[in-house]
Amino acid sequence: MSAEPPALSCAVGALYVEHSPWLHGWLRKRMGNHCDVADLVQDTFVKLLKARSALDIREPRHYLSTVAKGLMIDLFRRRSLEQAYLEALASLPPAQVPSSEAQAMLFETLVELDHMLAGLGAKVREVFILAQLDGLPYAQIATRLGISLRTVNNHMAKAMEHVCLMQWDAGE
Amino acid sequence: MSRTPTPAQREAVRQAAHWYVRLASAADDGEEQAQWQHWHDSDPLHRQAWQRMQAAGASFGGLPQRLAASTLLAAGHTRRQVLYGLALLLGGGAFASLGWRSDLRREWTADQRSAIGERREVRLADGSRLLLDTDSAVDVRFDGQQRQLLLHRGRILVDTASDPAARPFSVATRFGQVLALGTRFTVAVDEQNAEVAVLEKAVEVSLDASRRLRLDAGQRVRFGAAGIGPVRDNDASVGAWQDGSLIAIALPLGELLAQLGRYRPGLLSCDPAVAGMKISGAFPTDDSDLALTALEASFPLAVRRRTRYWVTVTRRS
Repeated sequence: MSAEPPALSCAVGALYVEHSPWLHGWLRKRMGNHCDVADLVQDTFVKLLKARSALDIREPRHYLSTVAKGLMIDLFRRRSLEQAYLEALASLPPAQVPSSEAQAMLFETLVELDHMLAGLGAKVREVFILAQLDGLPYAQIATRLGISLRTVNNHMAKAMEHVCLMQWDAGE
Repeated sequence: MSRTPTPAQREAVRQAAHWYVRLASAADDGEEQAQWQHWHDSDPLHRQAWQRMQAAGASFGGLPQRLAASTLLAAGHTRRQVLYGLALLLGGGAFASLGWRSDLRREWTADQRSAIGERREVRLADGSRLLLDTDSAVDVRFDGQQRQLLLHRGRILVDTASDPAARPFSVATRFGQVLALGTRFTVAVDEQNAEVAVLEKAVEVSLDASRRLRLDAGQRVRFGAAGIGPVRDNDASVGAWQDGSLIAIALPLGELLAQLGRYRPGLLSCDPAVAGMKISGAFPTDDSDLALTALEASFPLAVRRRTRYWVTVTRRS
């Protein structure tokens, strides 16, 4: 782990002391849940520390609430995935249910995957999942979704381009 | 080694994606293969992009197909759509203050009521704060021994003030009573049940002498004729209404509309075929027409307004 420059951790520390109660209130007003709020406040400052941009923030509250908002959306998204995942697990025949460790790892993978697909439109995303994860032939996808084969091809190409570039950008 | 791709590399990836799809969908004929080979060999950028594309295609291979696909499909809607709903909520501080009316009457004896679509904040005689959600009715019974609210309909948020006379503060519903233990909490009541959610400190729920439960911050519980239900954790939807928003987390459409319908006069319903569709997002309750527009923009749904007071949601054709 690389040491933070002292000036940076000082700046973040000062921001924390001055604005974390405010951020706490801001989030609590929107979420109501105590535990989540405290976590998100911490996560927001951790993110700030990692971004190394704390030294030149002009409007701290605007900046903090923007970061916190992003984290809050991630959390909501994660919750809805979690629910879908538990339902999918429950519908599996007992013999096919993975071990709890494998379940946890798989879930993290799905969260990443979901994030990767986030920029795609709903239909494009659906086509991609059916083809790439469910392994359906394109013709069957076209029938199932009531769209032309040509559209399936276009959607798939768009999705593959997106996923490939995301992975490239992520340095994989 | 890997930096972000240059524009030329991006263009090569775009072409590689087309080839990837063409090869996957084409019947196995030599013609297509030969054309691909020509494209592949004609430029080092193409070869690099193709390698990346194949790696991308293969990276989903190890997942248990059914489980992964059904999870992602059920979670449905993209992040952007959740974002859209949230943007409505977070973007305008306007929503937060709209519809709030302060009532600082120090003395009162009459019932407190809020109209459909209205939220009202009331300061009670002891300094406690009471916020009434849409279409709610409360009686206030303060005397020398106790501070009691009778919740007849709707939903309230209570922020108790400490009382010099140390009178207990409670909210009574027809299903049971909620005793505040120095605290902030919400109580809602409908035909079948009541629900209490604790935001700060704790409360005690009691149906009678033997059926009691202490509930701490971050928890909620339903109670009714059948007794006290299981304790659940609060989620984002619990506190949101006080800001004029309805947060749905994988909520069936039918239920979402039932909740949203409390904020508008008339009939709001949906085609049974889409009632189970899972919706996530944040919707403004101060302007339920805007919420419906958001719903239409973010999900494959159409809102049919037969009249101002008769609105049906169906699948978009």
